[in-house]
Amino acid sequence: MARDGVVLEVDTVSKSFGALAALSNVSLVVQAGQIFSVIGPNGAGKSTLFNVVSGLHVPTTGRVRFRDRDIAGLAPETINRLGVAKTFQITNIFPEISVFENVRVAAQSRVRESGRLPSLWRLPDVEAAAADLLRAFGLAAKRDEMAENLSHGEQRYLEICLALATEPTLLLLDEPTAGMTPGETKEATALIRQIASARGLTVLLIEHDMSVVMGISDRIAVLHFGEKIAEGAPEEIRSDPKVVEAYLGPPED
Amino acid sequence: MDYVVAILLPQLLHGLVFGAALGLLALGLTVIFGLLGVMNFAHGELYMLGAYAGIAVVGVTHSFWAALVVAPLAVGAIGAVTEVATLRPLYRREPLYGLILTFGLALVFREGVRQIWGGDMRRILPPFTGSTPLLGMTYPNYRLFLLVASSLLLLAIWLFFTKTRAGVLVRAAVQDAEMLDGLGVNVPRVFTLTFAGSAALAALAGLLLAPIFTVYPQMGVEMILLAFIVVILGGMGSMGGSVVAAVVIGLAQSLLTLWMNPQRVAIAIFAIMIVVLIVRPRGFFGREGVLE
Amino acid sequence: MSRALSWRAVVVWVLLAALPVLPFMSKFYLLLAFDALLFGAIAMSLDLLIGYTGLVSFGHAAFFGLGAYASAVLLERGIVSLWACLLFAVLVVGLYALVVSYFSTTRRGIYFALLTLIFAEVVYTFFRYTQTFGGSDGIQGVPPPRLVGGFAIDTPMRNYYLVLVYLGLAYLACRVLVTSHFGKVLVAIRENEDRARFLGYNVQRYKMAVCMISALLTGLGGALYPGRSAFATPDLMLWTVSGEFIIMVMIGGLGTLAGPVVGGAFFVLLQEKVSSYVDWYFIVIGLVLIFIVLFMPKGLLGIRELLGGRRWRATA
Repeated sequence: MARDGVVLEVDTVSKSFGALAALSNVSLVVQAGQIFSVIGPNGAGKSTLFNVVSGLHVPTTGRVRFRDRDIAGLAPETINRLGVAKTFQITNIFPEISVFENVRVAAQSRVRESGRLPSLWRLPDVEAAAADLLRAFGLAAKRDEMAENLSHGEQRYLEICLALATEPTLLLLDEPTAGMTPGETKEATALIRQIASARGLTVLLIEHDMSVVMGISDRIAVLHFGEKIAEGAPEEIRSDPKVVEAYLGPPED
Repeated sequence: MDYVVAILLPQLLHGLVFGAALGLLALGLTVIFGLLGVMNFAHGELYMLGAYAGIAVVGVTHSFWAALVVAPLAVGAIGAVTEVATLRPLYRREPLYGLILTFGLALVFREGVRQIWGGDMRRILPPFTGSTPLLGMTYPNYRLFLLVASSLLLLAIWLFFTKTRAGVLVRAAVQDAEMLDGLGVNVPRVFTLTFAGSAALAALAGLLLAPIFTVYPQMGVEMILLAFIVVILGGMGSMGGSVVAAVVIGLAQSLLTLWMNPQRVAIAIFAIMIVVLIVRPRGFFGREGVLE
Repeated sequence: MSRALSWRAVVVWVLLAALPVLPFMSKFYLLLAFDALLFGAIAMSLDLLIGYTGLVSFGHAAFFGLGAYASAVLLERGIVSLWACLLFAVLVVGLYALVVSYFSTTRRGIYFALLTLIFAEVVYTFFRYTQTFGGSDGIQGVPPPRLVGGFAIDTPMRNYYLVLVYLGLAYLACRVLVTSHFGKVLVAIRENEDRARFLGYNVQRYKMAVCMISALLTGLGGALYPGRSAFATPDLMLWTVSGEFIIMVMIGGLGTLAGPVVGGAFFVLLQEKVSSYVDWYFIVIGLVLIFIVLFMPKGLLGIRELLGGRRWRATA
């Protein structure tokens, strides 16, 4: 694919906290329209990778380029405004306001007034966009509920709605199905796939549950102790002996 | 040399004396903050209550020493009751409610004392007078006693927190209050006793300082600001830090008065705190990210 | 944005406007009503920070006091135009608030509360000990300000209407603000500041802006005070006064506009009523505060919710 098809390029990024190297020389290239998954056991550095891309951490060395622009070290709000939205592994919503108000505040982040003087007196109309999102995730009937009263699965969806409402080019999903039942997980993965293709999104997803990513990913990278040990299409990863050994451990049963 | 002996040295000692007493006050404040997550606005009033309880006991027994035992116990009991009745229901709520609630407690205590003892300035006579020759100057005995007593108390508290099981437990809980649940400890009782202890310490500081200061209902209002500054400088929740910061502030206050008038000193101390908060928000010894 | 006024709001404003012509309204009661509305408006401005944004300022007395001093200094020197006083107050309070909000909004929670407290204490100490501004006596016996030409705001009734206009405009401003794009972001910051950043909001800029707005509204209220009392003293800026402002907000209810106005008025009337019978009114006020924090954290207007009414916190 052409160079201009690259959405995100993580270039030999390392991040250490004191003596602990959470990431060492990790490189990834995510193409436009891909669903790219990063997997690895807990503590493999997946979340650190996300935090570096989304602006929470500054990488110790290396570069992060989003659409050919170096974003390493920029503030989270700046990175978001460039078109990168992130969801959180632990549900991170606005608990004591309604579901609709949650999505509204996210959606109005992209209107012309945002951050300008007229925002002090104008209330932009983002009703349609917010309602569309809620409908897509089956939350339309809950729009006036207080967000903290939603079920766990619904809160996970609201979490994704918030990120999508900021109209990102690249969506970072941090274990979107964490805590869901197998049935919910299946439904959620299908929904993510469908929405990503409908909106032309590029998705970077991290998971520790391998079965979740096999079905929806175009490409998978495996992290182990902060290093990338494999990358390829799902079927290559499934049969890669290094991955089987490092990640799946000794065969069960 | 004359300048050193006649002016600098006494001022230095004054600073140490005041710093040590301030340390007693700030220590209780920081432990309560670490353990309960409450910035106790009423701490200054507990300090003030200590002095008034002392006046009451001296009035009956005519003994400063009796007061030194009874007043902290009485204020500690008041602290225990207060904690059970008002703070306990707030543990699961936002810390700012605790701040606001203790502001209300401070109002009640302050005005309660004004109703009972009136708003006049009072004094407690020191239990002994006279001075001792020291390093080429003479220094009042009571202030020396104050310095020694405060230092011994701080040492005793340090031993308590490092050598006894109860102390180690509380210290660990100051770092991470949730770990207490996992240890099968009666958490409410630990909280109540700690609050009572911190109230007793504040009362002790109030009574010890009373013979060299004056006693009046507003006395806690001025001390609490200084104690807040000390706790912030030391790093919120850091016990050693608050003692060090108390001594630093005591010395700074005392030495700065040699060169500036009191209001400039006050502003200088505020300025120190603002600069520290901006440059190093966790204070001297605080952990990163506590409340940044 | 601003909906049509409900008939209840119309009734309230008409009653407030008609208050001075009621037969029992003596000068004393008019001044009391002045205080009630003034502090109600200030509590409302403070609630923009506490209730909407989740930032507890323990230094609002400094904004109030600086506004009062700004206007008293001009009046004392014979510059008696009300407009000049207001403009000067905006300048002085604005400059100070710029510094305070810049540094304080980088911190959260208790740190924010303590930073605003310490900044305010610096201002208090400065005025308390600076003889140019009268030291602890403050500036006394200033002439009343003039609206236009020879029309002086020199009677309790004129003062009352002035403060009523101030309250009305401040309410309007706050109303527009909290129902705007900006207001929605403030609530998001209160609910979850970090998440708001990941949605593309420069949170500190919003916090600074709301701090400035709240400070300026409070300072404008302060600028009206010498016209009513003929003085400005450092005691107006004591940190306990900031605490009283918070009490007013708490009484009225966090995250509403009408609530703190009611809370401020209630506080002023309670103080006056209780202190005219007994001299321990601060005990009563302290107990009221404790009661509210423990049992009615939503304030007086929370009663409505207890009775099955609407949700209390602004989803605005």
